[in-house]
Amino acid sequence: MNRTRVIDIIRSNGILLVILLLIIVTGITERNFLTVGNLLNVLRQVAVVGIVACGMTYCIIGGAFDLSVGSVVSLAGVITILNINAGTNEYVAVAYGLLAGVATGVINGTLISLINGRSSEAFIVTYGMQVVVASIALFPSNGLFIAGRVSDGFFKSLGQGFMPIVIFLGIATIMQFVLMKTKYGRHMCFIGSNMDVAKMSGINVKLNRISYFALSGLLAGIGGIVLCSRVTSSNPTAGLNYEMDVIAAVVVGGTPMSGGKGSVYRTVVGAVIIGIMSNALNILGITAYHQQIVKGLLIIAAVAMDILNKQISLREMTHAKVYVG
Amino acid sequence: MSAYVLEMKGITKTFPGVVALDDVTLSVEKGTVHALIGENGAGKSTLMKILNGVYTATKGELFLEGQPLHLQGVRDAQEKGISTIFQEFNLINALSVAENIFLGRFEGKGQIKWNRINRKARELLEKLGFNFDVSKPVGKLSTAEKQLVEIAKALSYDAKIIVMDEPTSSLTKKEIELFFPIIEKLRKGGITVIYISHKLDEIFHICDRVSIMRDGKLVGESLVSEITRERIIELMVGRSMEMEYPARTASPGEPVLEVKNLTREPLLHDISFTLHKGEILGIAGLVGAGRTELAETIFGAAVADSGSIEINGKAVSIRSTMDGKANSIGMVTEDRKETGLVLDMSVTRNITVTKLDEVTTGIVLSKQKEGEVASEYVQKLNIKTPSINQTLYNLSGGNQQKVVLSKWLFSNVEILILDEPTRGIDVGAKYEIYCLMNELTEQGKSIIMISSELPEVLSMSDRILVMHKGMIKGELTGAKMTADNVMQLAID
Ligand SMILES: Nc1ncnc2c1ncn2[C@@H]1O[C@H](COP(=O)(O)OP(=O)(O)OP(=O)(O)O)[C@@H](O)[C@H]1O
Ligand SMILES: [Mg+2]
Repeated sequence: MNRTRVIDIIRSNGILLVILLLIIVTGITERNFLTVGNLLNVLRQVAVVGIVACGMTYCIIGGAFDLSVGSVVSLAGVITILNINAGTNEYVAVAYGLLAGVATGVINGTLISLINGRSSEAFIVTYGMQVVVASIALFPSNGLFIAGRVSDGFFKSLGQGFMPIVIFLGIATIMQFVLMKTKYGRHMCFIGSNMDVAKMSGINVKLNRISYFALSGLLAGIGGIVLCSRVTSSNPTAGLNYEMDVIAAVVVGGTPMSGGKGSVYRTVVGAVIIGIMSNALNILGITAYHQQIVKGLLIIAAVAMDILNKQISLREMTHAKVYVG
Repeated sequence: MSAYVLEMKGITKTFPGVVALDDVTLSVEKGTVHALIGENGAGKSTLMKILNGVYTATKGELFLEGQPLHLQGVRDAQEKGISTIFQEFNLINALSVAENIFLGRFEGKGQIKWNRINRKARELLEKLGFNFDVSKPVGKLSTAEKQLVEIAKALSYDAKIIVMDEPTSSLTKKEIELFFPIIEKLRKGGITVIYISHKLDEIFHICDRVSIMRDGKLVGESLVSEITRERIIELMVGRSMEMEYPARTASPGEPVLEVKNLTREPLLHDISFTLHKGEILGIAGLVGAGRTELAETIFGAAVADSGSIEINGKAVSIRSTMDGKANSIGMVTEDRKETGLVLDMSVTRNITVTKLDEVTTGIVLSKQKEGEVASEYVQKLNIKTPSINQTLYNLSGGNQQKVVLSKWLFSNVEILILDEPTRGIDVGAKYEIYCLMNELTEQGKSIIMISSELPEVLSMSDRILVMHKGMIKGELTGAKMTADNVMQLAID
């Protein structure tokens, strides 16, 4: 009994354990790695990816995913900075940025719902939106970086000090609560597990699915704005390849790509772990290029673990495949 | 050499919290059709999964033709001559009939000899008395044809024993009639068939011996010719049962649901009928007559092209399942795995999903309330599970079916549509479910029951509509409700 418990834990947290090992090794060899200051620093660095990943977690649990988040990060930043520079009220400028995110999400969700799409359709639709939104972000400044004329105030506070961490953990806490404890979250698990069952149980599958993409867009917008605020400028390609980091955080955290289950807290852990790993690799003097290789392999390993896991548990309850009446 | 082709001696199998089999000994003679019957959760499927290598027994031994048998898995069992026709077929829809039969066993080096494979596949099907295109993808076949492919596959392994777990539960009446001669052919060819079914008529029709299980134990064995239906039921449920159907206790009142000229091309044409308060309205007809499609349209899972629906005299618009539920309509779907249940969620979650508001305090789902609801239904329908948190995968087929029923009973709707509600449910539990239907109608709820089991429709309905090719071909009431009348209307 006990031994299988241990094996179970290793199996379902394999990737996390490997990274934990890396952290311990680095912690022992490098004195300034495991310090409060450094860890807060990591948390601040992963906050933006983490915020966006919370939205992605909903999409994935709901049985789809969203590749357009990176472009939304860029666009929301561009819109907000442009508006601030044009003298718009800061709150309104931020609202415009968020609106762009929500709008992208609603379009994604509506298209996918209309064609009754599953993961593969979500891949195509959101990839298309990624391309479209990315170019929209380039128009206003001809693809150039825009310095923000930002004074101290609401907008500037979003990216400073502990604020990104507070926003990240605050959002994660609320979303975890909604997922685990409310009707909305329960419906999400049903929709992600089996859309037909959800439909025949009287759940509003279409509207719920649109909401996951809308939320994902909103959170990508928040991420983009926090990012801009931190550097008080906008870069129309700031979110390039963000979706990969975001999906990595979700998957490494252990939410399965197949949908129907998962947790936002696990995504937080995933994001932080990836951040710490990058940091450890930095401290160990490994270049950014090599780090990308490690990150890529990590995603593959995490997905492979997930699939392996499923096969093992399938074999254990062979019912799933050769289920008899 | 032993007279038995198969002996399973002292088989015990435990799962966490469950003793599924307790010292079961089963001996099967060569060339017979041996029935295995028992209540839902009695352990029939589990016993067969030990025989076909899916599980290993916790205790006990197997002998095949007198030799000790140790199985490495399903494939190993197949190669040793034990094949199983599962209710869920193990076929790949995209591949052809021939490819499915010989999957993983293509001969030839480098190049596959399709001609030979196709010819062999054709020969196997001909042996069973059938002749159809073996290059057709399996996905295009009917359920009955898929079953044939499975049997042909078993023959291709030179099966000595073929296990069939509830093979007729998703076949039409006509298909079943074609199915029995196949079993006869197998028996004549010296193949032993182990036959699991909840339909007692079938046992008397085609089986030689019968073994009866209850609560993981073997409680009786006999030649079919030497035992009565009543005795089998008594052994199965542990008490004698006077009747298989209770008398109706409620009587219909004023109209609640009026369907007028409902049309959904090309499946439903101009359908009109009325459902009364406290009524059980049976809908009979052959598979493909449009019964399920009608139910789906009333519930809102599909949208009608024209026609209207009135509830309590008021016209309503039902364009989605949310609308259906909002108008207090619920539907127990016929395919529990595809549309009824999420099998990797718990019993509790599957039951409460239709009415989460009921188990919510403020905005928070109450674990306690959910638990109370689940426990209530587990008790009421006698669902056999070690705990309300058990994953549905681990429940027996009949007990899963009880969960689908529970989910809509809990939703407490006024109009309940039941599509094949007792599929895979044992005789005793069926009786309980009929009593529950009586209870619901006494409370003033109304039921539309679609069923392919004629005795069930005839015994439990207050009125019967017979559908044919998307239309209502006739309505039967009172003394007119006979099997002959229904069949006459159901066929061309
Ligand atoms: N993998 C498993 N894990 C836990 N319990 C299981 C598992 N498989 C079966 N059981 C339990 O073992 C018992 C016997 O199940 P089995 O499927 O053999 O019943 P059955 O006789 O085939 O019933 P039915 O007529 O409903 O199909 C049930 O109580 C079931 O819940
Ligand atoms: Mg069974």
